[in-house]
Amino acid sequence: MSIEVRDLSFRYGKVVALDGVSARLGEGAVGLLGPNGAGKSTLIRILLGFLVPERGEGKVLDFDIRRDRAMIRRSVGYMPESDCFVAGMDAVTFTSYFGELSGMPRQEAMKRAHEVLFYVGLGEARYRLLDTYSAGMKQRLKLAQALVHDPKVLFLDEPTSNLDPTGRAEVLELIRDIATKKSIQVILSSHILDDIESLCETVVILKQGKVAAEGRMDDLRTIRYSLYELRIKGDPGPFRKDLEGTGSRVDETEDGLIKVYMPEGSDRMEVFRAAVRTGVQLRSFVRSRTSLEDLFAGVVGVD
Amino acid sequence: MATIREKGYTHWDGELVRRRFAWWPITRTGIQLAFKKKAFRFFFSGGFLPAFFALGGLYVSERLEDFQALVKSNQNLIKIDPGYFKSFLVNPGFLFMIIIVLVFAAAGLVADDLKHSSLQLYFSRPLTKKDYLLGKLSVIAFFVLVLTAVPWLVLVVFKLIFAGNLKFLAAYPWLPLSILAYAALLAVFFGFYFLLLSASSRNARYVAILVFTTYLFSDVISGILGGIFRTPYMALFSLRANLMQAGAFLFGRKPPVAIPVYWSFAVLAAIAVLALVVLDRKIRGVEVIK
Repeated sequence: MSIEVRDLSFRYGKVVALDGVSARLGEGAVGLLGPNGAGKSTLIRILLGFLVPERGEGKVLDFDIRRDRAMIRRSVGYMPESDCFVAGMDAVTFTSYFGELSGMPRQEAMKRAHEVLFYVGLGEARYRLLDTYSAGMKQRLKLAQALVHDPKVLFLDEPTSNLDPTGRAEVLELIRDIATKKSIQVILSSHILDDIESLCETVVILKQGKVAAEGRMDDLRTIRYSLYELRIKGDPGPFRKDLEGTGSRVDETEDGLIKVYMPEGSDRMEVFRAAVRTGVQLRSFVRSRTSLEDLFAGVVGVD
Repeated sequence: MATIREKGYTHWDGELVRRRFAWWPITRTGIQLAFKKKAFRFFFSGGFLPAFFALGGLYVSERLEDFQALVKSNQNLIKIDPGYFKSFLVNPGFLFMIIIVLVFAAAGLVADDLKHSSLQLYFSRPLTKKDYLLGKLSVIAFFVLVLTAVPWLVLVVFKLIFAGNLKFLAAYPWLPLSILAYAALLAVFFGFYFLLLSASSRNARYVAILVFTTYLFSDVISGILGGIFRTPYMALFSLRANLMQAGAFLFGRKPPVAIPVYWSFAVLAAIAVLALVVLDRKIRGVEVIK
């Protein structure tokens, strides 16, 4: 297991960011999912050694996150969420500069910078000043600097934010290529569920600093709960309240579709009994395959 | 924009090394970036003018018979001793010229990294805060030493060449050390001073304004307080006065203000310590808002 954390806790002043997080991030692409403030970025920052956890321990590639921070940073690449560059530089200088700071010999870093910039699609623009780059180009540049020293693990924090649909699709394709064909483990933190769903086999869902769900996506979809989609005639209020009283989570979409997340082991007949009890008429009842969005809503409780 | 993956990704078969001087790429890049600015190149070249004037003086001092008229009107010009070097180096105009050069080279050293959020890129590498600060500090030290130590040590050599003997060095053997010590003092002080102010804002222009304001304002405050309290100790509020006090001491000359020199060293050291404390708090991989 390349990344493992146990009982990790961290707080910003009085605000608890991580509260006893234990997780194993296995091979391939792993998604870190959660609403804003769930602790995704904090977890990545602790793994990178930017922040020291108050409690708990962890290992990245067998290096201890407290003691071997320099070794971890030598072996991983990090693509931050926010735009970041060095003013006055072109892409080649920038990428080779950070390759050199990672420990690459200067000439090698320069050669490698050219290769990586071609790989991310900035080959033609590699001598342009970074100050003139568009948002999409800066995003690719961040990926290039994270890849330049050929890391074993790549941390990507919101890699598709600020991108138009075409740019987003291209960057996702690139990440998929890295994760599946280049034997580089990718840890992808994102609030865009589609990104995680299309790239990651396993996912860790964080909620208020705690692990809400963890595992292979297929397993999570089936094991944790069943999702039923239904339409009713009548007042949905008492019906929803009744169902929630049985331990299910109920969401209603704008077009009147009611989604019922029933806990593992619950009887689906409860839906019909609730309808009888509250005097509503069931017009349709379908068992649905859960998407990541449904899983997220079921676990975290937000749409 | 070009399409993604013009070329495939290949693994790098080299080996990452653990550098003894991990800060060196930061210094080298900082120096290169400064030379890309036209204004910097202009003022940096201007920083050597005092050395050229001094060189002229050295030449005249060895060719007195050729410059009789000049010698009669300006005796000080030909008296070559440590005071001659001090009059150029420990000079308010020369100090201000160094500040102008450094404004173009160093105002954005930290401010630009804060503005463009690049600190997280630095610290996602095997770099420590010490490496980062040393790298940035060395950029400033480099320019200060190039403007002070290098030309003025060369001038000592020129004096010996013009004289054709080593008498001057025999008379003042400690002069090269004085020049080096003074240059080192300026390098360290201006290093911390500029980094302190550069870390105070995300905008390099504000930092430049802050540099000039604090430097000149400290002089004004010192003058006002001196007028009110009628004590020379108020000179300690002036950055310029403190640098000149310390410079005069290092060249073995009488300090311009009649107060113990160690007070000036203490003030300059206190500013450096303050800079270290502020930089330690400001420089981090992530901005932690509590």
